[in-house]
Parts: sequence; structure tokens; C-alpha cells
Amino acid sequence: MRISSMSRLVFVTLAAAGLVVVGAPPSQGADPFVAGGRSTRPVAITSTQTDRALARAADLATALGLPGVSRRAERLDDRFEHHVYDEVVFLDREGNDVSIARFDTDGSVVLAAIFGWQRGHGQVIDRATAASRGLEVATAAGLRVGPSPIVTASQGAGGWSVAWPRIVGGVPVPGDGVRVSLWNDGSFHALTRTERPLAAVPTRRLAAGAAQAKAESIVADRFKVNANALPIRATELAWVAPNDTWAPERPDAPGAVLRLAWVVRFETSGALAERVRLIEYLIDAGDGSVLGGDVVE
Amino acid sequence: MSRVRWWRRLVPPLVSAALLLSTVATGVQAGYPASIDVNTSAFNPPCDGDANAIVPKMQAAAVAAYGRLGHVATGFTGAAFTRAATLTRTVNDWGYYVHSHGDYYWHSGDSRRYTGFREDSGDCFQSVIYSKDIKAKRAGRQSNLVFVSTCHAADSNTTMPDAFAIAKTKSTGATSQGPEFYVGYLGIQWDTDEWIFEQRYWNALANDRSVGAAFDIAMLGAFNHAGFDADWWGTYAWSGLAGPITVCPRCI
Repeated sequence: MRISSMSRLVFVTLAAAGLVVVGAPPSQGADPFVAGGRSTRPVAITSTQTDRALARAADLATALGLPGVSRRAERLDDRFEHHVYDEVVFLDREGNDVSIARFDTDGSVVLAAIFGWQRGHGQVIDRATAASRGLEVATAAGLRVGPSPIVTASQGAGGWSVAWPRIVGGVPVPGDGVRVSLWNDGSFHALTRTERPLAAVPTRRLAAGAAQAKAESIVADRFKVNANALPIRATELAWVAPNDTWAPERPDAPGAVLRLAWVVRFETSGALAERVRLIEYLIDAGDGSVLGGDVVE
Repeated sequence: MSRVRWWRRLVPPLVSAALLLSTVATGVQAGYPASIDVNTSAFNPPCDGDANAIVPKMQAAAVAAYGRLGHVATGFTGAAFTRAATLTRTVNDWGYYVHSHGDYYWHSGDSRRYTGFREDSGDCFQSVIYSKDIKAKRAGRQSNLVFVSTCHAADSNTTMPDAFAIAKTKSTGATSQGPEFYVGYLGIQWDTDEWIFEQRYWNALANDRSVGAAFDIAMLGAFNHAGFDADWWGTYAWSGLAGPITVCPRCI
């Protein structure tokens, strides 16, 4: 244990030194994220960029009521999420972290959160009130959103999750959009905005039936006699991040550029459902290749 | 890096060193073991025709994360992740992570349900490890970070935190219930979303966020399915560092 702790201290020292000398470019093609490692690493930031991030943070703190009497900023290269952003941490008088904000390098807000599980002390709000309150928060943060968010109760959010999913050309982009977390009295907890790059729309779109046939052939080959226990439950078009679910040789992080795909979902039954409940195959809507998939175990 | 933070960082290794010396002197097992149990067989050959690459990387990430927190972290899968082996190891574990098929299982002997998860066992016939099994072995012993990466592990009726003597309360601000924290998922969740949540969580811990702040940051991921949700119980401001002392690197 002593060796482990000492190693940790040495690592922390080296990491601190790295803050000064590391100036890695945001590109990660030759240095991809590998499971077990950290997602983020500090990269060089100029004093002008730091000042701008701190100024943006001050504005956002005023708009959202982020606590903290002092701030520190650093630029991080997130190799898991393929994103370089400026992170500003707010501290109280004792030097404790009390809230956080992240900004794109162009200054637009990416994330904000108040730390601590401070469930609101006011009256619990209903779904409709959460929608309007979420709209107020997004607007205050300078985010342009529509009038009709999707509102769901969420334990992890602390009360309500108010979301404006991104839709491009009528096709959803799961994971992208704006999401506001509210305590159950409507007070602000957190927000996030995600907008990942999209690949070009395929010149010829694969028919849904062809995507289903492709997925069914994979299931038949994979599950043999059990394939009958996996009926298709849904086939939907979406912009998805390619992943390594069915291809270990692919990178450990989800792909940086989203591709248009047919998401074919199978639901299991019987004994198979005791191991796998749901399976998805992501079929490229252009060339029919398998972009990845997903599992509910 | 501030002097305050350095001072706080020195606490756990010094405490650990003191405990190490005392435990070596008494012949008791040294360090803070953490088991990382991962069910690969259920989602890979021989049970499935294709390999599932998500599960091994979840294991690698968890082993590394618990190691960074000061645990002697070891990954177990296949025939090394059996009901018997898990229940033997849990007696000494301070930290625990499991990724498997989980549910609120009926226990015919007790005529009631308990939260549980399936062993791997290296084959396709996998026994359920009930929370009551773990609770009986641990007998109220203190736990540190417990991450149950299964479906239903953090449902409102979950019995799993109690197995690790973690009260289902959220201690925030100056309130502490000791160096313990339980994380799990609500309902059924997809592997890719769990992977996004977990990597964000481990990375936030590696960047010195508290276990609670790391949870808040992890919840803000770009999840592929709109219904993603997780929950926690324990001490929000705790650092996650292994051992019996509550250390908060940047307390709330």
C-alpha cells in the first residue's frame, strides 16, 4: 500500500509538471483513447484564452447562479469524447470545488453543474412547470432551444431531466442536443450541450428492409437455434457513433463522426433473456456495413 | 496545485502506511483489495457466437480506476468469477465492481426477492449471487466504493447497498456517512451508455473530483438512449481513496 500511495504521489507530481510543459495538439488519431486510461489531458492554453474562459464562466455563473468565489481554468483534450474544451472550476472560500463549467474553444457553453446533492427546499414542481423552468435555464445560458422539450423524472438528475434532442433532416441524433437537470423544486442542478460532427448523407439510402435482412442474417449466424427467440422490435433511422461492440479491433471510444444508420433492435425471450435482454445492430444507411451495436444484458 | 490539496493528498498514504505497518505486525492481510468481477461468457463464445468487446474494456477501466484509488485491484472473469469465488473474496474486499446480468430475483427459499446478479463461471449456466449472500459473508463490514454495473442495481427497492453495509442515504455538504459510496443503474440500461457513464466517472475521479461530483459529471454524458438513469448512496464529498478514513480532496 505504501508503494502504491507513493506511486500515486509521484504520478501526481509528474502530472503537475506536465501542466507546464505539455502542449499536445487536439488531434488523437495516432494516440487514441485506450480503456483503463484517462479520457482527458491538459493541453496548452494562452493567457488570452484563459481570460476569455474565465470571463465566460463569470457570465454563466451570473446567469445560472453557479456558486464559487474564485475560478481556475484549463484546456482539456478529451480523447474519449473527441473534444477539446476549456474547463472552469469554481471554488469557495476554503478552496473547495463547488461548481464547474465547460466551454467550447469558441466560447459556447458545453456543460455546467453545481456540485453537492442539494435537493431544492421549495415546493416540488410538476412536469409542465419543469418544462418551462428548463426553458428558462437554457435561455439564460445562451442556448437556443425549441418550445417543447421532453421532460422525464430522473433520479440521477435529482428531480427532472428536460431535454431538447438534436434532430437533423428529420432524423434523430441520439445523445446530441441540450439537456437541463433540475432539482425537484425546479432549481438548477446541471446542463449539457452536445453537437458532434456528422458524416455526409449517403447518396443512396439503404432500404429499411435491406437493413433488417442484414441484421437478421447476423443474428441467425450468431445465435443459431436461439435466433427464433429474437424477433425484431424496431428499425429506426438515426445518426450514430460507430463503436466496437462487435469488433474488438476498433477503438475503445465511440467514433468521433456520426454516421447515418438503421438501428435494428431485437428483443430476446425465454432462457436467452436471462443473459441478454435486447440487442441492437447499427447498419450503415449507405453501404450496409455494420457500424457497431449495443446490448442490454 | 495548492498546498492545501497536497496536505490532503498526504493523508491517505500516511494513514495507509500506518495501517500497513500495524496489519503486517498482526499478520492480517495488508492493503485494500478490490475485486472487479465481469461476466464475459454470457455475452461471448461459447454462449454467443460473436465476441462482445464492451465488457472487457469495462473491466480494464474499472481495474485501473480502483488501482488509482489506492486499492489492490484485481479483475476476475470466466471460471474465476463464480458465486463461490466472489463470496470468498468479498470478506476481504474494500472495493467492488461487477458487470453482469442483474435483476430483482425471486429467492424461493426465502419467498421474497433480492437484488442480485449472475456469476460468469465460464459457461452458460450461471447462478445468481443474491445480495443476501454477500451480506451474510461481509457481516456488516465497511466498504469503500461499490459499483454495481448491472440492470436494476439502483432501483428504489434495491437490496444491494445493504449487503455492503452502505446506508441508502445521500450524505452531502458537511455530512458524512464515512468513506463509502454505491453506484448503480435504474431499470434496464444499454452497455454503450453504461460504458460512457463509467468512463466519464472514472476519469472524473482520476481528475480529483469527489465520488459525488464525479457522478454528477458522468450523468451529463451523450447517452445513446434517452432513458438512461443511475443513482447513488453514500458520502458525496468523499475522495474515493481506499481505506477507513474519509478524505475529501476538494470538499463541498
